[in-house]
Order: sequence, then structure tokens, then C-alpha cells
Amino acid sequence: MYAFTYHRATGLRHAANLLEKLEDPKILAGGQTLLPTMKQRLASPTNLIDLDKVEGMSEITAAGRSVTIGALTRHNDVHKSPIVQQAIPALAYLAGLIGDPAVRHRGTIGGSVANNDPNADYPAACLALGATIVTNKRKIAADEFFKGLFETALEPNEIITKITFPVPKKAGYYKFRNQASRFALVGVFVAKRPSEIRVAVTGAGSSGVFRVPSFEEALKKRFSPKSLEGLTIPADGMASDIHGSAEYRAHLVNVCARRAVAAADEKTPAE
Amino acid sequence: MNEMTMPGRQIGRSLPRLEARDKVTGRTEYVHNLRLPGMLYGKIFRSTVAHGRIRNIDVTAARAHAGVAHVITGEDVRKVIPRPFYGPAFHDQPVLALDKVHYVGEPVAVVLASDPYVADEAVQLISAEYDELPAVFDEVEAMSSQAVVHDELKPAGTFPDLKHLQGRRNTNVALDFHLRRGDVDKAFATADRVFEHTFRTQQVLHLPLEPFVSVAEPTGSGITIHTASQSPSFVRIEIARLLGWPENRVRVKVPYLGGGFGAKLYIKLEAMVTALALLVQRPVKVALTMEEQFYTLTKHASTFRIKSAVNKDGRITARHCEVWWNGGAYADIGPRITQKSGFTAPGPYDIDNVSIDSYSLYTNLPPAGALRGFGIPQLVWAYESHADMIARELALDPVEFRRRNILREGRPQATGTLMRDAAIEAVLERLAERLDWNKSFDRGSGTVRRGRGLGIGFKASISPTTSIAIVNVAADGSATLYCSTVDMGQGSDTANAQVVAEVLDVAAESVRIVHPDTDVTPYDMATLGSRSMFHMGNAVRLAAQDAKAKLAALAAELGLPPGSNIPLPELFRRKYGMQAGNVIGIGSYVPTYESPNHDTGQTSNATPYWMIGGTAVEIEVDTETGHVRIIRIINVVDAGKPINPKIVEDQISGAAVMQLGFTMQEKMLFEGGQVTNASLADYKIPSILDIPPMISEAVDAQQHDGPFGAKGVGESGTFALSPAIANAIEDAVGVRVTELPITAEAVYRALRTAANDPLEDA
Repeated sequence: MYAFTYHRATGLRHAANLLEKLEDPKILAGGQTLLPTMKQRLASPTNLIDLDKVEGMSEITAAGRSVTIGALTRHNDVHKSPIVQQAIPALAYLAGLIGDPAVRHRGTIGGSVANNDPNADYPAACLALGATIVTNKRKIAADEFFKGLFETALEPNEIITKITFPVPKKAGYYKFRNQASRFALVGVFVAKRPSEIRVAVTGAGSSGVFRVPSFEEALKKRFSPKSLEGLTIPADGMASDIHGSAEYRAHLVNVCARRAVAAADEKTPAE
Repeated sequence: MNEMTMPGRQIGRSLPRLEARDKVTGRTEYVHNLRLPGMLYGKIFRSTVAHGRIRNIDVTAARAHAGVAHVITGEDVRKVIPRPFYGPAFHDQPVLALDKVHYVGEPVAVVLASDPYVADEAVQLISAEYDELPAVFDEVEAMSSQAVVHDELKPAGTFPDLKHLQGRRNTNVALDFHLRRGDVDKAFATADRVFEHTFRTQQVLHLPLEPFVSVAEPTGSGITIHTASQSPSFVRIEIARLLGWPENRVRVKVPYLGGGFGAKLYIKLEAMVTALALLVQRPVKVALTMEEQFYTLTKHASTFRIKSAVNKDGRITARHCEVWWNGGAYADIGPRITQKSGFTAPGPYDIDNVSIDSYSLYTNLPPAGALRGFGIPQLVWAYESHADMIARELALDPVEFRRRNILREGRPQATGTLMRDAAIEAVLERLAERLDWNKSFDRGSGTVRRGRGLGIGFKASISPTTSIAIVNVAADGSATLYCSTVDMGQGSDTANAQVVAEVLDVAAESVRIVHPDTDVTPYDMATLGSRSMFHMGNAVRLAAQDAKAKLAALAAELGLPPGSNIPLPELFRRKYGMQAGNVIGIGSYVPTYESPNHDTGQTSNATPYWMIGGTAVEIEVDTETGHVRIIRIINVVDAGKPINPKIVEDQISGAAVMQLGFTMQEKMLFEGGQVTNASLADYKIPSILDIPPMISEAVDAQQHDGPFGAKGVGESGTFALSPAIANAIEDAVGVRVTELPITAEAVYRALRTAANDPLEDA
């Protein structure tokens, strides 16, 4: 780890001011990715702005047909939230699959979404549910937010404050986990919304989370795993690395999508 | 200790480890914690090419870096060690690269600084230029490759079967071991059926959570080395040889280790810290990172072609084994694996006609050496997979096929050595019983299919080797054991204390153990190959018996009647007039052995004892993803009569978990000889979530010449896990995996290939 200056933000405005004026700053929102990468010297911010003590950014509220989760809400709190469990059980289930207990008790939803790791779970949920990412400056639709590997629509001085998820009619998540690390080799989130059906895939794509229009079309006719049988997606555009080939990942997208649809139809999501 | 312990019944007690409390409360000393006044930290600059002649090493910028004390290269080392090449089998490994580099990651230069971070920064400022040479990475290609790793072979002279390789050029073969028994050609010519299969294993590594670490301290007339080593006596002898000094000027001290698994044997960093400390006349510490372990020592990748002749009754009449071991750039102990494990390649089966050709190969990869099992898991992977494949072809029950061929007590093994105290049959039958083999089994349905499988393996102990122990009884009757067995987590301190306690009729908790210190503790060959419980256990028993006999002689000298139960303090007081004096018992143990015939591999005495290990599993395959879920693992071994049953159980399950990683997930990946996953982030060892329910047990057995009937057990749990899983997969879904690791993708690809719809290649 290289030397850096640590700043504890006392409020959102304070954090935004620091972000504006400090040289080479980075927001610390749980740090479950940032701190390891700093230790490995893959990241070397000059100034670290810790949001940990900022109040009012870790609330979960339900209003009308949506659930809003504060950006500093820890994965474990999303997983255990009665509001999320009741309104979008697939999202609560997803949060319980992230990392290990230590990660789930430190990592935050805002930190994860801002990081946009291609193997992370939340981006698939945001994209499939049509979430809105709210920052200190504006509101960004999930469709516009995820731009590629670790790339997002966030401006350098922008901080995510909360994420709003419209409540779907049904949703399911299925994750094929990497051995030991438990990262998603492939994870598929399927949401049946009042207006549309969305299938979002994490882990598989060589440029991050993506939707599968052909699967969505098929599910529109009938929301059933059977509708996806025999459908394939090309291996082009899939990631290929030490954990799995592009062809295998392309195959798993279909398997995970069918299982996610099946999970959406069940009261308790399947493991 | 809350538990009341009665002296006199120390064997068979599941005594908790004596050091457990100190370890979990952070009081245990490790070499990583050691700081000496004036000590410098060394950080290593490593080769970036797999094979090349060194043209130039530029250390100017590193030397000029603020805080750097010295930068040392291979040529500097020659000032204190004129011929700086070491190794247990070949003197092939330089302290720092000289003239050539032989693998990516080979140490080329060292920066010394009193701050390790400064040293680390300065390493980045070193640059080297190489004239690259052709490299070879595959063990089978290395047999005939134009790329030759070493210009000339330099056997160490320790082992007679390597002498014929002296001075050989243009070869990568570091040992060719051959065994011939019966008439193999004739048996194959007249066989009812012949089966031939090839199996491969991947390169993996030990990854002890305490990485390699050594400190050397010049002491005026000599040198003291503090090191996380499994072989303090070897280190002393080899360092003395390198320096041209008598052994008594080299002192090697070893505290507890944070794991070893065969990695910390022979010379690792000890020669390097010795040379550095003598060059700069200050204490020097070199502590590797987790990443650097990937460049230090690994487990042999292997290719095994096995061919069997089988008659219509399902009896194996002949077996031909060809094994190629990928030894990497330096031989380390690889040639011993090629021979010692090589001669068990046909498996624990009674076969009249056997031929074995086993080759140790140099390649341009990180060196391979001993790793928990010493080559046996690679062999069992092949012969137990092969066994099920034959049984399946012959429509025979796999357990029944093994019963028809099993090597029974008193029968000759491939070397001609008669089997004795080898509970192979008991292990097989216990596995079948634990698995409810004869009962019906839920085979699953839909996309989840279930299967079960088993395997059995065996291992000879390395031989001949020596252990010496000293038991010191003080004037108050308390006993101290001096021995050079290294407790690296396997519980040897506790077991040895139990042996002393049993003989002297005291509680094991009261026996103190002095850790390896070559100025104090006597010679021991090394802590390896599950040899300590048998060899050192016997030496400790003899030392305690010697002390006991001397105490009896003292009593007789003082006119006490034989069998007098006079308290020991009173005995010493009568002799010396006060609390004074001591009684020293010495035990030395070296088993008998007969070297195998060079041409035929035959010997009447191949090993002092046999270790038997078997594993059975029940698994579930997800046919859509290839994911294998292990429902349960059953490990059964022959460990003789366990001295400490709980520690034996832990050794078995620990070994099985380690092998589980090697079976399902671990693999060192390379690009042009460069490891591409050299971190725990990318190279995944099993986590707690990967460990299925497990039963580990020892059958009722007795090693007639073991200490109180015991023998070694540290490796037995590794033997048969891999083929048991592959056999269970075929049982579940009808596909055969012949290469490790068995990843979900590998199984899924095999399923698609079997369905004539192969998944396109990556």
C-alpha cells in the first residue's frame, strides 16, 4: 500500500466538498474492493474520503411501488431487511450471496454499484429491476449507468446517495458460483415487471453486466423456464479467463436464466 | 489441564496438543517474529525469463537507493561459497543464478536493507538482460526435447542409484527407474483383455500459511541459522559442506512451523541467508511473500500411461507402468519420488508380471519436490481410475474386481518384498461397509445425478533413514525429550511426549520437549514422508527405555531391591546427597533395508512399513453445469495402533481436505513459464465452505516393530481421494475425467462430448 491521506466525511456535503477540492480523491464506502486493491498497489489514491460516519444514508424505505435503499446500506442489512424481503425477495436473497459474512457486514450497496465489478451481483439486480441510481447531483437510470468493466456514468465529483428499485411482479436470481471465492462465474437476474420482462447477466460478459433481449422476448410469450430451452447466446462477447471459457459461460447464461425464472415462481428463492 | 491423568496409560489417549493453548493465545514463537539487533532484510530480484543466459544485471540504481545497505548477485556469493550449488539429489541449484536462469521466478539478486519495504522498492530498480534459450515445459516433451535445461548433470553422490548420471549431457532425465518382474511381454501376448489409459495431474503447491523464512546470524567462529525447516540436520550438514566447515560450526534452530507439507525440506532459503550474512557480517532475514511461494517449490505434474492384461476371471496378469514426473528446473528430491514412489506404481494388487519405467524430468518450470504423499497421489489417481474403468468394461463390481486382485498379507509386492502389517484388505472392506456398498443407492433424477466411488492406495516409507533421541531425567524426576523432529502442526510433540510418558510411567503433559537445535538435539534425517512416528517414535521409545534401565541400574548400585518403587527424587538424593545429577537415555533407530537391484528394481526389503489409505465418496453431478457436489467423504487408513487417536483423525481429514483442493480446484497456470495465478486471490485453496461432511478413521491394526504398534499417518488421507471422486462421477453420469483438476467446466465438457455435441474449444 502506498501512503495516502485519510479524511472522515461528517456529512454528504462535506464529502462532496472534499471530493471537489482534494487531489486524486477516492470515496471509501465499505472498502471491500478498494482496500485490497490499494494493498496490492493496483490503486493508489492520494486522498481517501470515508463515508462511514455520514448519517442518513443507510435507510431502507418502501414508498408506493418502489423500495429505496440508502447507498451506505450494508449487504447484510439488505439481506435481512423485512422491507426488501417482503417487496423484492430476490434482491434480499442476492445480497445474502455476496462474498462472505465479513464482506457482507462491511461492504455497501452504493460502493458495489459504483465499483461495477463485472462479477458483482448488484449490477444484475439494478439492470433487471430497472433501478434508478440517485446521486448528489442527479438521477441515473440503470440502463444508462453501467458502462463496461469497472466503468459507470458517474462524474468524478459525484456520490451515489441511494438506489430506488421498482417492485416487480416477480423476480428471481440464480448464481453459478466460483469455487472458494463465491464470485459469480455467471449470475442471472430475471424480473417480470408490469410493463416488461428483463433478463440481466453478471459475470459472463467481457464488458460487464448486460441484458439478453432474445430471452426477454421468449419470456414475454410465456414466463416459464421452458420458454428458454434451446435458446443460446453467442460466445462472442463472453469473458474467457482462468475461471471459465467464453463457451462455457455462454452456456451457463441459459442454465442460470432458466433457474432464475424457476426461482421467481417459487415463494422462497432456490439456492 | 482439568483432566486428571493417570500415569501408565499414555498410549491411545486422545490428549489435546500440548502446544494448543500457546498457539491460540498467540504465545508461540515463529521465525517470522524473530528480530535480531542489526538485522538486515533481504528481498529477491527474480528472473523474468524461463531459460536464458544472463548477459547483464544492472544493480546501480538499486545500490544508490536511499536506505539500501547492499545488493548481492550470484558472483558475490562465490566469495564465501566457492561452489554455491546445493540439493539433496543433485548439486544443481545455485544460491543465486550463475551464468544461466532456468525458470521464471528464479532468484537472481538480493537487496539488503534494514527496512524490508526499502529493500522491496529497490528490487524494482534492478534490471537484467538475458539471451533467451529454447525452453521446455511438458514432462513428456522433455524426454526428447531439443531444449536441454542443464548443460551437465551433477548428482550429489548421496544416492547410489544416481551415480551413473554423473556428467551426462544433452538430457533432461534426472533419473530413470526401472522395475522388471515376471514376463510381462508374454503375459500381454496371451491376455484375454488388455486395457491402456493415460492420466495426468497438474502442477500445484503446498501453500503453508507461514511462507518460507530463514534468518542467519554470524557468530564469530560460526553461524546460527533460525529457519522454518522440516530438516534441521540436513540443513546443518549441507551448509557445512557448502562452506567447507565442520558441522559443529553450523547451528540450526527450528521453532514451531506454520505448516510445511514437504515444502520446507532440504535447502530452501538457508544457503541464501548464510551467504548474505557472511558477506555483510550482519544478521540477515529473508521472509517470502505468499506470491513467492509459487516460485519456490511445487508438486510434480505427471503423466502416467498404465496398461493392464486381465484374464476372463477378472484377474490382472500383467501391468506396465510408464510415469513421467515434471521436476521443474531443479531436481530437489524429485529423483527419490521417481524411485521410491515409482515402485508402487502398479498399485496394491497381486500381479505376477510387472514392468515400471519411471522418469524424473527437468523442465523450465518452478522446481517440484516432496508434497504430502511424495508422488503417491499422482500414481493412485491413475491406477484406481484405471481399476474402475477395467471393472466397468468387464461388467464387474468395482469392489469385487479389487477383491479378486488385492495384495494380501505375505504376498510379494512388485519389488518382491513380502507384504507385512499392511491392512489393505481391511481398509477396502471397511470403505465398502461405511459406504453401504451392497445396499441400494439413490441415484437422483432430472438434472441432478448421484454416484459413489472409492479407491485404495499404498506407500512405502523412505528408507534407510536414521533418528536419534535423548531423554533426560532430572533429579526431581521430571523428564525432557531432545529430538530434531519438527512439529509443523502434525502433533509430533504430543505423540512423542506420550511415548516417553508411557515408558517412564508419568503423565504425558509433564514431559517437556526441546525443539530442534543442532547444538543441542541429536540427528534426525528429517520430518517427512510420515516417517517420524515410526522412526523417531522408536528412537524416543529406546531413549526412554535406556533412561529407565539406567535408573534401575542406579537403584541397584544403591543397594535397592529390583522393582523397588522408590520415588526418583529420593533416588537422586541418595546418590548425590542433594537434588543433583541427571540420567541421560539415548535411543538410535535405523531400520534394515536392501537397495533394489539397478536393472530389475527387485529387493527383499523395500521398506520398513507400508502405509495404506483409502477413500470413498458420494457425490452429486449437476448435468447442466457439470458442478460436482460432494455429499460425503469417508477416509479409512492403516496407521498401525494410533498413539493419539484424535491427532490421527485430524491428520487423515487434513490430508483429505488438502487433496480435495488438488482434485477439484487448484492448478498453477502458466504463460511461457510465468505463473499467472500466483496469489491466493486467483489460486483458490479449499475454504471452509468447500469441505463436505467427512468421516476419518483408522482400522484396527498393529505395526509389529512400530513404537507400541504405531506407524506414520500424515499422508494416508491424500492417496485415494482423487480417483474416488472421478469414479463416483462416472458412476453418476457415465463420463470419465482423466486429468486434474476436476472443474465443473471439465465435467460439463465431458458430458457434452459423451453426448456427441462437444462444447466448442476456448
